[in-house]
Amino acid sequence: MKLRTFLLLSISSFGLFVAVTLLSAKLPSPMPEQAVAGKLVWQRHNCVSCHSLFGNGGYEAEDLTNITTKEDPSYFINYLVQPPVMRPNKHTLHPALDEVDAENLVHYLEFVQTIPTLGWPPQQEEAGKNS
Amino acid sequence: MKLFKLFSFRGKVDKSIARKQQFIAQKISRRYCLSAIALFALQGVVALLGAVDLVIPDLPSPIPFEYGRAIHLGLADFWPLIGTMGMVYFFTTAELNREIYSPRLARWQYWIVMFFSISIFGTLALRIGNGREFLEGMPIFYVGICLALALASYNLIRTLLMDKRDITPAAGTMTVGMIFLLLLLLPNTITYSNPITDETTKFWVVHLWEEMAFELTSAGFIATFYIVSGLAPRTQVEKWLYLEAALAIVGGLYGTGHHYYWIGFPAVWLVLGSLVSLVEVMPVGLLLHMTYKGLKSIKIRSKREKLTLWLLLSSVFHHVTGASLLGLLMSVPWVNLYMHGTYFTSGHAHLALFGTLGFAVLAGCYYVLSRGSEPTLKGYRSGVLAIILINIGLITMSSALLVAGLKEAYLWRILGMDFMEVRLLLNPFLILRVLGGAMFTLGDLLLSWRIFKAWQATKLNS
Repeated sequence: MKLRTFLLLSISSFGLFVAVTLLSAKLPSPMPEQAVAGKLVWQRHNCVSCHSLFGNGGYEAEDLTNITTKEDPSYFINYLVQPPVMRPNKHTLHPALDEVDAENLVHYLEFVQTIPTLGWPPQQEEAGKNS
Repeated sequence: MKLFKLFSFRGKVDKSIARKQQFIAQKISRRYCLSAIALFALQGVVALLGAVDLVIPDLPSPIPFEYGRAIHLGLADFWPLIGTMGMVYFFTTAELNREIYSPRLARWQYWIVMFFSISIFGTLALRIGNGREFLEGMPIFYVGICLALALASYNLIRTLLMDKRDITPAAGTMTVGMIFLLLLLLPNTITYSNPITDETTKFWVVHLWEEMAFELTSAGFIATFYIVSGLAPRTQVEKWLYLEAALAIVGGLYGTGHHYYWIGFPAVWLVLGSLVSLVEVMPVGLLLHMTYKGLKSIKIRSKREKLTLWLLLSSVFHHVTGASLLGLLMSVPWVNLYMHGTYFTSGHAHLALFGTLGFAVLAGCYYVLSRGSEPTLKGYRSGVLAIILINIGLITMSSALLVAGLKEAYLWRILGMDFMEVRLLLNPFLILRVLGGAMFTLGDLLLSWRIFKAWQATKLNS
């Protein structure tokens, strides 16, 4: 194999890869404005260093891909605006957000929940059982 | 076998090597390598503090855990990047036996890459960032890193073009690796509103840097190291290098599919990701073959080369085990469904990223910085001790994480227990991880000190 063959192969593989990747990254539905703002809140507060979305992120806290199916939005907004102590700490509170940011963030998480993840995370057989 | 021969390198292989000559580029590469070692020492300390933070509740710290972790992930990518830049300059000039196109650009590039890397760590310490995993810094700083990579790519391409008929496989591979580092980081300087695109492009750095671009620069470095130090004839080492690089590129690119399983991609990626992950293992086999060839033909070795080899062999060991075999197991969709997003992933990441790339860059940096000196017997022994400590520490902490991940997946994903309940049950493993990490950091600091000493000893004559 010569350099020319190697370069041609690299360039063509890379071009094709970028194309199929971009085609695959389509959203199931357009993203609402509040969700877009919520994603920026998510980034600004560096949530990903403890939490994960789609299982990618920190391992210290709950994965939030489907979190909005578990409680009402008002519960989460309340949680974020007046954060409780984080277990196993005795004093350290969960980082706090203001009302608007919290609402947008919940909108973002609700949107993330609509993205099809091919059956991840694995669900227990007995649906609705919270042990 | 006739068919296989089609893929071997068929160019000029009878190049002589002037081992005594030193190029300006090789002088410049020393500052890259020394800075990489300094950041590696810092990384050991940051990582240990983070691990301790996880097992002691309410630990007071000026930098909160989430930003400490961000710095840890940033360092994980950037110290090997800076070291690689130095190594590529050093070994490309040694391989081609000519000066680099523009030493001045290489000097500028050093200041650019250092300025923007330090800016990322500094701003993260002040809790300013962009909150994308592995790329937590402000996007503008990544533009700066891209600029440094663009200068490096341009410099290397111009160096190769100085004599078109004389481009060796190792130099070609390293240059292509550097260009890919740039191409894959570029899309990450943009903020996407689409969360799927955001995840996707992130993996072009998290996965493709390590499993493709750095794989190319490392393979080129290992080949050149064997040739320059006279451990193996050029014909044997470079014969399969382009094939290895081509497999690494194709396997690396489409193997990214194993990170695309659950992020909203079509199901076809489950098939693509798991099948092409098999291709990713092939270049590792060829690398093993190359390493074996290089080792087999050894007669006399200096202590300096021995120490480099120990580091290199550590890298090859983790490349085969923690990166390839464990990675292949995890890329099976049914396994990944349960292990994804648990500590198991973290265990694999440490073995794969530091185990494979980190050790290879350490080998290169040590070789570059110790040029023209020999370690004393005492120095050699402490170097070997450091390498043993790092290996045992890495294997201890990664095993603790892997077992923690298995337990976590069983209780949380299969039995459906509450996440926080499970997380508290994992504490014994996380304490074991701290112990392994402490051993690692001890070895890390000892090795960094050894390399610093080597740099001091060779400062005057270079």
